[in-house]
Amino acid sequence: MLKCKINDKEIEVPEGTKLIEAFKLADQDIAHYCYHSALSVAGCCRLCMVDIEGNPRPQIACNTMVSEGMSATNQSDSIKETVKWGLDFHLINHPLDCPVCDQAGECELQNQYMKFGSGYDSEMAEKKVKKNKVVDLGKEVVLDSERCVLCSRCVRFTSEITRTNELGIFNRGDRSEVGTFKGKPLNNNYSVNTVDICPVGALTSKDFRFNQRVWYLKNKKSICTGCSTGCNVKAYFNEDGYFRFKPVVNQEINGYWMCDEGRKVYKSTNKENRLMGYELQYGDACSKEEAFKVAQDLISSAVTTALVVTGQQSNEEYESIISYFKETLNSEQIYHWHTTPGKEDEFDGLLMRGDKNPNTKGLQKILSEKGLGKDVSELSSVDTLVVVGPENMTHVKDLKAQLEKFIQSQNVIWLGSALVEELKEMAHVKLQMPLRTYLEKTGTFTNHAGQDQKVTVVKTVNKQALALTDWVQLMQNQEVQQDQGVKFPKVKTNFFMDDRGTV
Amino acid sequence: MSLVKKQSDDLWYMPAILSGMRFTFKTMLKNLFTRPDPKDKLAHRTYNYPEEKYEYSPRFKGNHILTVKKDGSLRCTACMLCATYCPASCIKIIASESDDKAVEKFPISYEINILRCVFCGFCEEACPVDAIRMGPEWQTPGLAAENFDYDIKKLAYRAQLEGGIPSRVDDVERHEAGI
Ligand code: SF4
Ligand code: SF4
Ligand code: SF4
Ligand code: SF4
Ligand code: FES
Repeated sequence: MLKCKINDKEIEVPEGTKLIEAFKLADQDIAHYCYHSALSVAGCCRLCMVDIEGNPRPQIACNTMVSEGMSATNQSDSIKETVKWGLDFHLINHPLDCPVCDQAGECELQNQYMKFGSGYDSEMAEKKVKKNKVVDLGKEVVLDSERCVLCSRCVRFTSEITRTNELGIFNRGDRSEVGTFKGKPLNNNYSVNTVDICPVGALTSKDFRFNQRVWYLKNKKSICTGCSTGCNVKAYFNEDGYFRFKPVVNQEINGYWMCDEGRKVYKSTNKENRLMGYELQYGDACSKEEAFKVAQDLISSAVTTALVVTGQQSNEEYESIISYFKETLNSEQIYHWHTTPGKEDEFDGLLMRGDKNPNTKGLQKILSEKGLGKDVSELSSVDTLVVVGPENMTHVKDLKAQLEKFIQSQNVIWLGSALVEELKEMAHVKLQMPLRTYLEKTGTFTNHAGQDQKVTVVKTVNKQALALTDWVQLMQNQEVQQDQGVKFPKVKTNFFMDDRGTV
Repeated sequence: MSLVKKQSDDLWYMPAILSGMRFTFKTMLKNLFTRPDPKDKLAHRTYNYPEEKYEYSPRFKGNHILTVKKDGSLRCTACMLCATYCPASCIKIIASESDDKAVEKFPISYEINILRCVFCGFCEEACPVDAIRMGPEWQTPGLAAENFDYDIKKLAYRAQLEGGIPSRVDDVERHEAGI
């Protein structure tokens, strides 16, 4: 450990720490654009200037290693002045785009200018260098070169993390622009990460563009259930539903990133793709009480019952529904529906895995503990079949074939969060009951490496829906308590009013 | 401690009331015994509403107007600053991507729930491009079936506006000047 002094605060840092990291460890604000902990040092924005004792001129903190007894500050007048004019250089050719820019509200140019910059003229009426706007970089990302501060984070990302090298900086001086090479669009499966690390609104995500202003969204930590890696994410939502995911740093699981496919998982949790109410045969709506009466009748009148589950529910739910079948209903017929069979070991080398079920490991563990579990291909017809359908339908390729097999049973009870249109036409599907998605329940998911991750209720989109644990309790006529997550006030209030006048 | 003081017995409020009554009675008698002067409307202070309507000054903060660009399209960029600033949360905007790269973002729907609006004028104040203004029209009554969610058609192109009020902030001019 090395002792050093940051803005007169004594701290100890491990050997090999960069000075900018030491500032972060000491909780000191330091202006910076180009430095990112996961990428190499570029040292091109020149904003992280500090005064180091014994050094006659300012130096950048991101490219300086801490040494024993080092004393550095960014509070001196000369440093403040340097950073101020550095920022003005970044702003001088910047367009007056904040009203139409998706980054506004989480923009580092806005934030850092307010913190470290000088006052500016809001008309911004100087002549500017004009560059390309609304450039389509690839299937997920749009570039606005005028807003770019040329920090080169995105370029370093494609060269160091994905190693696909799609992006580069072209031309020189104030005409420099980020761009792609001819015929080589930015189409890798990690491209939206460049949008996250871009400190300004130069790179925006096509999926999220103009959907919401970021200040209308709340966020809460959860995981991604797009595959068995289980990347940590923040889910952004408001009272209308979910809008986007952004990765959260977890060095053991996903590092700093997540894949583009995983970012679309939020769609399966929104109203449009959900089974919203209880439905009888041919999609006739019914109440929750009616539905449970029908379900109890179907199960008690059946001689043989069976259960089909996918690897998309939580461990707690598996525990309760499998025990219910084994101990209460005395049925040993429990089948694992693997929606991406034979792809367990596929891995793209960075994060994404072939197994698109977030909790295959957890399900297998519980099944083997109980000495149960056959593959869904062994399913034969029974009197009443309970199917727990997949939550995320986008990768389920064998749905039609599986449904054909399920309706060979006399009565099918379908429990699922996703909307499956085909079920309405099937006479043997006697009941559909809505389930909660993973963002609406508390539980544990076990990823491919056996790491357990807990999720908590973020916000409920479908108030009628149940977790499987609730379903089991209601089937046995027990009371359930449901957590609704973040609640929004019934009376519309403008919470920005309270912050009026603050930056 | 109560903040409401018990009223004292002195009659300090009487002079003001009496001078108000004097004005009222003077006007009433004048209106009863003289004819309206068509040249000087203010001389005769009673109007035969709703046949005759009082014209407010253009600075009056009444019904909203969405201004338009030179080509007649909406000036609003769907930045949602007005909706963010609105204390009554009565502005609802849905933004979309425009085919015109110079426009980039525009509202496909802009609705003001005029019954919730408190006519504070904050939306006008928040708008960076002079896209929303409050005009001198103030009559907002309607029948039960009337739609009080004013949409783009009503806010920008209602008959009284005669094809739209031009905005003072022009992007095209800025771009031509290289700004
Ligand atoms: S990048 Fe930031 S400063 Fe630039 S237009 Fe967007 S929000 Fe405004
Ligand atoms: S596009 Fe964004 S991340 Fe890339 S160089 Fe420009 S500012 Fe940096
Ligand atoms: S006048 Fe005030 S209350 Fe009415 S829409 Fe504008 S900001 Fe909202
Ligand atoms: S009216 Fe003005 S403030 Fe409101 S969304 Fe349109 S441009 Fe923004
Ligand atoms: S962060 Fe150090 S130079 Fe950019």
